[in-house]
Amino acid sequence: MRAIDVHTHPMLREDHRGRTGAAQLLARARAHGIEHVVALGDVLAHGRIPSAAQIRRINDDTAWLTARHRGFVTGFCYLNPTLGERAVRREVERCVARGFRGIKLEIANNARDACMTPVMADAERYGLVVLQHAWSMTKIRQRSYHTDPADAATLARRFPNVRIIMAHLTGCGVRGVLAVKACDNLVIDTSGAAPEEGIVEFAVAELGAERVLYGSDAPIRDFGVALARITGACLDPATKKKILRDNARALLRLP
Amino acid sequence: MNFFDANTWTGRWPFAFLPAHTPRTLTAHLRRHGIRRAFVSPLDAVFAPAPGPANRELLRTTRGMTALVPVPVINPALANWREELAVCAVDPRVRAVRVLPNYHNFRLRARVMHEFAQELQRRRLRLIVQVRLIDERHEFHAVHLKGVPVADLDRFLLQHPTSRILACGLTRTELFALAAKHSHLLADLSFVEWHDTVRHVLARVSAQQLVFGSHTPFFITAASGAKLAASGLSAPIIRPIASGNLAKFLGG
Repeated sequence: MRAIDVHTHPMLREDHRGRTGAAQLLARARAHGIEHVVALGDVLAHGRIPSAAQIRRINDDTAWLTARHRGFVTGFCYLNPTLGERAVRREVERCVARGFRGIKLEIANNARDACMTPVMADAERYGLVVLQHAWSMTKIRQRSYHTDPADAATLARRFPNVRIIMAHLTGCGVRGVLAVKACDNLVIDTSGAAPEEGIVEFAVAELGAERVLYGSDAPIRDFGVALARITGACLDPATKKKILRDNARALLRLP
Repeated sequence: MNFFDANTWTGRWPFAFLPAHTPRTLTAHLRRHGIRRAFVSPLDAVFAPAPGPANRELLRTTRGMTALVPVPVINPALANWREELAVCAVDPRVRAVRVLPNYHNFRLRARVMHEFAQELQRRRLRLIVQVRLIDERHEFHAVHLKGVPVADLDRFLLQHPTSRILACGLTRTELFALAAKHSHLLADLSFVEWHDTVRHVLARVSAQQLVFGSHTPFFITAASGAKLAASGLSAPIIRPIASGNLAKFLGG
């Protein structure tokens, strides 16, 4: 079954994975039937709050990947919203000029923070998809800078014209799915943690098949395992096809 | 591929939407995923005040089911652990027992664990340490549990260098911290994941120390199988991990 992976980090220093390693990872993706990937940048390279220069280097690597693997890799622009409106705008403009189609947000700040306003304004201006890292903060006491699904829902409600991917279905859990149910501009990717049973089916039942997208988080996760979360779920073939490929294709406006 | 699974469970888990397997439904489910044999333990033993009734039910309901190797849960923190072990060991199918230190309120470094290990050796029973059942970040909000500390397992393995011990539920970093130091440690792959998991792990851990574990019904069974099936490694490398090492663990 063919797939589009909306959540990858082909270069990752933690995995000693530079440009050569990225090529190897993308070859493995192809071997698994993945026909397109979204590269989100090495978000672990410089800690929680990367500087403007560090952000530029990460996005330069992503731009190199998209040029090298044209048609196979879509770039998302990694941002640190706490750097302020000017820095955000400059980096978004630079990345848009290089063909990036989305914005990646990690844990520099919580998605409900005021510093998100210029980020979301730029996303709307350029028609960019925003992929927001999220995890249930029930057990992780980091909500001052780490986005809970309820915060992702707040973001989606504040900016209804921006299309948002909330990352890590498994990390967001049942409560997370219910938190974002009313946000039609928000979809969830299936990455995050181990392949826990039942959560993909729950997300489809609550949100509809159109709002669930396949994402692996490779190389932090294994393509085979990530794909089997969908192929091994109790869902009909048409639903699996939507999750694996069709939804992402429509969202990213891929040919 | 023919799998021998180190880590499956029957019964209901109250905190997630998981199938509540009986031995019969579990066997059918596993067979669909190429798992011909599996260690199975009862979830009812996890939260019950004593594991005895759940063990009895497991032994009764798995009788005649050759695909399932019943693995009773023993709680060494309870005064009756010798008695419970003796009762379970009467059944010739029982070749290993499982302990859940973080759920049953004891540490592997507790004094009783030394006696417990000696008793297992005397009875020629294998020990399985369940390091975790759930990713701690996803535990039910009112449950405050962490995985079994690596330092405790490290010390226990040092103190018992001649017994082969199987740890289920180690993460990748925990596995890396322990495996090279303790060649008598076996670990299942249920919680271990990275890009190209098996190749990644084999770069640092001997294949002889790894066994397949699906952690059914907590995890999607097909996903666990995919770690091995999609690895692209040759059958002579994969087969011991898929089934051979666990068979040796029981027999040797």
